[in-house]
Amino acid sequence: MDQALVFSIEEFSVFDGPGIRTTVFLMGCPLRCMWCHSPEGQVFENFILRSPNGCSNCGNCLKHAVTSNEFTVFTQESIDNCPNNLLRHCAVQYTPDELYKRLEKNFKILSASGGGITFSGGEPTANPKFLINTLMLLEGKIHRAIQTSGACPPEVFSEIIKHCDLVMFDIKLIDEGLHIKYTGASNKNILTNLRTLINSDKDHIIRTPLIPEVTDTEENIEAIAKLLSSLGVGYIELLPYNKLAGAKYALVNRKYTPSFDTERSVKIRNDIFLKYGIETKIL
Amino acid sequence: MTDNIKNKLDFLKKGEYKKLRRPLNEKIIRWDEGVCEMDMQTYLLKHMLQNEEPLLYEGDIFGFNRTVYETPVGYIKDKCYALETGNVTPNYEYALGVGMDAILDRINTKLKDCTENKKRKFYLSMKESISDCLDLADKYRDHALEKDNKILYDALCQVPHKPATTFHQACIFVKFIQFTIRCNRNIHITLGGFDKYMLKYFMADLERGVSEDSLFEILEDFFININLDSDIYYGAQQGDNGMSMVLGGRDINGNDRYSILSHMCLKAAMELELIDPKINLRVDKNTPLERFEFATRLTKKGLGFPQYCNDDIVIPGLIKHGYDPIDAHEYTVAACWEFIIPGKGFDIPNIHRVNFPKAIELATNERLLYCENFDEFLKEVKKYIEAECTSIAEEMIKNREKATPYLSVFIDDCIERGLDVSEGGGVYNNYGAHGVGISTAADIIAAVKKSVFEDKFCTKQELISAINGDFKDNSSLRNYLLSCPKMGNNDDYVDVFAGFIIDIFADVFSRYKNHLGGILRAGTGSAMEYVRCAALVGATADGRRKGDTFGSSYSPSTITKLKGPLSCIQSFSKHDLTKVINGGPLTMEIHDNTFRNEDGIKKVASLVKTYISLGGHQLQLNAINREVLLDAQKHPENHKNLIVRVWGWSGYFNELNIVYQNHIIKRTEFMV
Repeated sequence: MDQALVFSIEEFSVFDGPGIRTTVFLMGCPLRCMWCHSPEGQVFENFILRSPNGCSNCGNCLKHAVTSNEFTVFTQESIDNCPNNLLRHCAVQYTPDELYKRLEKNFKILSASGGGITFSGGEPTANPKFLINTLMLLEGKIHRAIQTSGACPPEVFSEIIKHCDLVMFDIKLIDEGLHIKYTGASNKNILTNLRTLINSDKDHIIRTPLIPEVTDTEENIEAIAKLLSSLGVGYIELLPYNKLAGAKYALVNRKYTPSFDTERSVKIRNDIFLKYGIETKIL
Repeated sequence: MTDNIKNKLDFLKKGEYKKLRRPLNEKIIRWDEGVCEMDMQTYLLKHMLQNEEPLLYEGDIFGFNRTVYETPVGYIKDKCYALETGNVTPNYEYALGVGMDAILDRINTKLKDCTENKKRKFYLSMKESISDCLDLADKYRDHALEKDNKILYDALCQVPHKPATTFHQACIFVKFIQFTIRCNRNIHITLGGFDKYMLKYFMADLERGVSEDSLFEILEDFFININLDSDIYYGAQQGDNGMSMVLGGRDINGNDRYSILSHMCLKAAMELELIDPKINLRVDKNTPLERFEFATRLTKKGLGFPQYCNDDIVIPGLIKHGYDPIDAHEYTVAACWEFIIPGKGFDIPNIHRVNFPKAIELATNERLLYCENFDEFLKEVKKYIEAECTSIAEEMIKNREKATPYLSVFIDDCIERGLDVSEGGGVYNNYGAHGVGISTAADIIAAVKKSVFEDKFCTKQELISAINGDFKDNSSLRNYLLSCPKMGNNDDYVDVFAGFIIDIFADVFSRYKNHLGGILRAGTGSAMEYVRCAALVGATADGRRKGDTFGSSYSPSTITKLKGPLSCIQSFSKHDLTKVINGGPLTMEIHDNTFRNEDGIKKVASLVKTYISLGGHQLQLNAINREVLLDAQKHPENHKNLIVRVWGWSGYFNELNIVYQNHIIKRTEFMV
């Protein structure tokens, strides 16, 4: 389908590539990372969410909701009848043309700062047709980046990166068993795509989210450093776990229950990366 | 930071010294009717100064500390007679350059040839006040000697009687002027272009071999020192005390005046993290990105400053309003954001306010039903805004300020003309008004256009009834109205109405002059009026409920779901802002997380630079964390040093009235 659900457009995003960037968050992700801070972006279907702040418990939204199997599904009437304007559709549907028009107004400002547009998610590669068509529209107009987990079929990945100016690629866990445990999926495709990316002529930045006792372990960091160094990578960006990761779960009526200790501070093992000749930057 | 500075900061924060202050002996001074204002003002200052005792704290190198926590109030019979004037920057450059004795000589010379009674009275009043102030300075000098404080004693042997010769002496002189004027109940007295008039003393010291480090220590000491009594100088809220300074800017030849001293002022503010001095930075489209980056490090501290002022807009704007080009290049802010000329202006920038949403509320209630189409409605809106601006302008020109001979000493050309500032002794005698709720007003017009005339979502009557019923039982209409275009999202559909309002505002004001021949200046500021004016307006067609405040100054409404800062800066820079030269900033909140590393700092700096090159006039950025603010409301004891920007000034969060605390939290709701 040549349309996608966009659950957020962050106009002024600071840590998603060079310069001032606008980041487009596409809905849907094949992974279920335990530390995901955008739970609303995991699914592929739009839904209505309710902000918990400012609710006067009038019950209007529930009166118009459909309840089945313990799930409450809000309706347009729920949105209309909330006296505090707390309900909204999680995402907006866009065609590539529509999205282009929405972004175009800021091209000049973004370019002036050496920035551009970044696609994130969810997982942007999970909407390949839409993503490629949009990237093609943007070609030559503005710098294009994607932020990906690499979790997509290798042939799709190769096609997508052709249309990017920069690929930011997350590498989380090298051990497949642990990868399945913490993200719900194997990392086979991810590792293949990582090699494809590094061997291509595309600008890329490899990043690792540091999750306490999950990805920041000595074994995992050592394994990442070893792999990257064998592929000739000399630079990595580290994203320490954000304690606010659980903030949006209430919004989607879910509980944030990671199995790791969110209070433990992350270990930042620059020394291991340095041993392998890899420079680090903490975001 | 040196140990000396650390200790002084500690001394300030502990605040034990405040216990030493006394009440005023005889707070109310009564006169019979017919008393001359100048006599009253002169006596009130004398009385206050006689109550003050010299008091030096440990290692104090400036003196002039308040030992009395209140100032006398004048009564004529049983009627309180407020003698407060403010929002002025004295001519420090002149006073520091010649010394008070030379000013006295000049007044004496004037007096000799003067036969006019009124002028003589004015000169005599000035003279008496200066002598009273110098008496206190002498007491301080003698006290410093007694206390074996040689540094201060030596300096006080020179200033304020004679011209300052060192940076330290110049700081004392500035403090003396501020202290004495404030003893006269004129609170909003700013530091003005501190890095300009102080530079010559700073450079002279450097040439004399004084090290940069020791000058920086004096500067930090001075910054701490001017915070000592800030709790006494209480404006509309604590912190609203006018203690602002304006750094950088270009001169008439286009030279950049950002100096080593300007840089040190930013650096000192960054290290000390205090509410005063509130830093303003003059910039333009040629200002290097590195300077924005350095200033962004100060923003990161979360103090709500620097505030940026755009020379490319302000200078041409002032010239267009009749200011001399040389003077226009010297502009500072009167306290918060009001562009004035230091030492020359007796511009009273905050005399009144125009409540735009109120005018549109009236137009909607009284005329909407009779409008066949949107153009007709817009014509009605124009009439109502014109009527509101006209009635405010007519009120404004009735304003008369009270005589204040001592303040007049420091404003050109009062001595020359023998005229008090209140009677037009100053070079500029313009009045200004706030333009309150411009974004809300634009949003209302857009919502009426869309709901009633375009989408036909509701009838005119339905809209009016829903507003008058504060949207009770009409949530779906309110939710629809909230979804209509709002200013701040770079949508011409609504932004165009802000331009429409500004044009009418400036046009009506341009037809008036006050009794001193001064003009009326339109502005985009609001001060506390975003709360007060909002209370006078019921629910509005933009979906705002009764009781909700407006956006502060030239900022989006707090009910607006913002796309982000890029759209926001475009919305608020697209109109000709030289027309609203009374000033009033766009205020934006940015999550403090954004500033966490160098990348973030660079990008925020680049955002500011973009805003300036787009033609915005004034910008306040707040590095803020909503969670911290909410926690501070619950546990104030854990957040004693939390500082926030309120409207045109920064204050301690804990000391703010709850309405303002809530407004700041509300502003962060749709923060990006």
